[in-house]
Amino acid sequence: MDAPLLAVEDLRTYFYSRAKRAFIRSVDGVSLHVAPGETLGMVGESGSGKSVTALSAAGLVSAAPGVIGGRIDLRSNGTRRNLLDGLERYVRVQVQDGRIMAVEKDNRGWRRRAEALMQGVRGKEIAMIFQNPRSALNPYSTIGTQLVETIRLHTSAKGEGEARERALHWLERVRIDSPRLRFDNFPFGMSGGMCQRAMIAMALSAEPSLLIADEPTTGLDATIQSRIVELLAELKAETGTATLLISHDISVIQRLSDRIAVMYGGTVVETGRAAKVLAPQAEARHPYTAALLGSVPSADTIRRKSYLQAIEGEVLDTIEVPRGCRFYGRCNRVTEAIRENCAGLEPPLGEVAPGHKVRCWLYPAARNA
Amino acid sequence: MSRTILDVTDLRKDYSQRRGLISMLTGQERVIPAVDGVSFYLRENETVGLVGESGCGKTTIGRTVLRLTDPSGGRIVFDGHDITRLSRAELRPLRREMQMIFQDLDAGLNPKMRVHAILREALTVYERPSDAEIARRIRELLEQVNLKDSKLANFPAELSGGEKRRVGIARVLAVRPRLIVADEPTSALDVSIQAQVVNLLRDLQKHLGLTYLFISHDLPVVELVSEKVAVMYLGRIVEMGLAESIAHQPRHPYTRILWSSLADKRSTEVRAPRTWGVFDFEQPVSGCRFAPRCPLYQDKGRPAVCTDPASEPPLRDLGKGHVVACHFA
Repeated sequence: MDAPLLAVEDLRTYFYSRAKRAFIRSVDGVSLHVAPGETLGMVGESGSGKSVTALSAAGLVSAAPGVIGGRIDLRSNGTRRNLLDGLERYVRVQVQDGRIMAVEKDNRGWRRRAEALMQGVRGKEIAMIFQNPRSALNPYSTIGTQLVETIRLHTSAKGEGEARERALHWLERVRIDSPRLRFDNFPFGMSGGMCQRAMIAMALSAEPSLLIADEPTTGLDATIQSRIVELLAELKAETGTATLLISHDISVIQRLSDRIAVMYGGTVVETGRAAKVLAPQAEARHPYTAALLGSVPSADTIRRKSYLQAIEGEVLDTIEVPRGCRFYGRCNRVTEAIRENCAGLEPPLGEVAPGHKVRCWLYPAARNA
Repeated sequence: MSRTILDVTDLRKDYSQRRGLISMLTGQERVIPAVDGVSFYLRENETVGLVGESGCGKTTIGRTVLRLTDPSGGRIVFDGHDITRLSRAELRPLRREMQMIFQDLDAGLNPKMRVHAILREALTVYERPSDAEIARRIRELLEQVNLKDSKLANFPAELSGGEKRRVGIARVLAVRPRLIVADEPTSALDVSIQAQVVNLLRDLQKHLGLTYLFISHDLPVVELVSEKVAVMYLGRIVEMGLAESIAHQPRHPYTRILWSSLADKRSTEVRAPRTWGVFDFEQPVSGCRFAPRCPLYQDKGRPAVCTDPASEPPLRDLGKGHVVACHFA
């Protein structure tokens, strides 16, 4: 296997909720990696920490305390750099009975150091597409101007004319019709799907090594969604940009991902090749993944008009993280043999098959890990 | 056969849009026909699904049939009463029988009231029950929507999305409605919670004999819960029929696109890009309003009948209650 382009290790990102007077452990020890040219799809419910993982990797978490630890290794131009290098000395965390009591973080020192590390990375090496394209585009300048700006800043095309040519080329590549006309359009004059295309053009025009696509199709109409998914699939084949794709829509993840990470309560509970993880009859599978797949109506459910397999209970709020498995309270596959483990000890990610890991006591791999 | 509870004939709803100073002075306004001649009916204890892209008029239909906005034309008959032109006072006794579940989870939940007070208010809108009766009804409602007693003391902001949805449903059930317009009841929720709510709505229908107009863009869910499905495009119903025939033997090219876009997202093969624009109320259309985006229109070599201003395709009956508005379907 190729050395990973992005390797995240034990990433922890916490926030403080004033309303709840407690720390929320949005990302709580996430490890994952993306190989060059690969698309890693992250699925999970809202609050499972998928977006925050991506934002942390892009250095875009601004709320306090924010990222408090871990490693984010990015390989570019043959060198590896840890985007969180030397940052741990700015943070001290106090934990008591699984509850975060206090986080001391020297935010100014952290920010100065982090910005220095992110220099030349954000926008250039790591580009992002967001859920709401209209809010990510500058409403006061035309699509063309924004594209040209990106290209001149991040690529070798520094001249106005050359950059303009490239910008038009990118508008064509994202299948915006009459690109010359659209070049001078402002975001408000364009539909949501068109804005998302422009956003994709902008992200890719910097020729990043990693693209983070955070819910790129959410909020668009069904017919437009499938067009955007198709476009992303084509561009993936054309440019081979490694992608971290985040979506709660399993069909989008299924269509575009090579590998998948299923997140629950701030951790990765299952990871492996997409075909394996989402296979209708997987040999080993995290009960949460199974439940997620079951809560979407299948052809069979519809035909027999049967009930959906709902996951009882609510999404974990990650304030008071249980001592055992994070999914224990909602899990329907706890057996007497493993109950004690499930309730008392968080299972490790155990390798159930080559490259396929599941964080569940059901599988011997976890017990042996 | 159960009887018809809601009968809508040729419903119209125009929104006028004033633009700038000149149109204000000259009194000219542009009219947007959000709902443009829609007819359908609902039988007691059945679910009709209403699908289409955003902006096609689904929600406007929902709001208009409940008279939350006034129709511009057509006829709405609820349970034998023509309610099209009833005044607010005349509508009031009927209101409790027809309720709406809004897409917005916070709609109808006063942020300054605890869940208990919200439910109590809903129970006392039409009746003056005793305190003991209120307590009994609240317990019953909580049981119906599967919500814990402990949530009664919470403010809406302290509830999760799924819990807010349950309180919203309990509040609607408090007045014992017969017809519920559910406008995207699951779209603001997580997948696992969506499944809970869909199951809950089906249970309630079974036990309380409710009738649903189920508005959603989530096609598999609509197919699952509905007996009949109506597909809307630009303010009109372009196809309507039994849920399984709409999903598996769609006749209108737009219905096909809708369902195939679902399959496209799932399939892993790369397909040749097909192009169609987005729809636009502001573009004048003559003839069939789907023609500008229609693949069939292109395949047939742009037949004149499709864009003939005099012949917008009417809904043709294909048998078994399946109707379609296309010259070629």
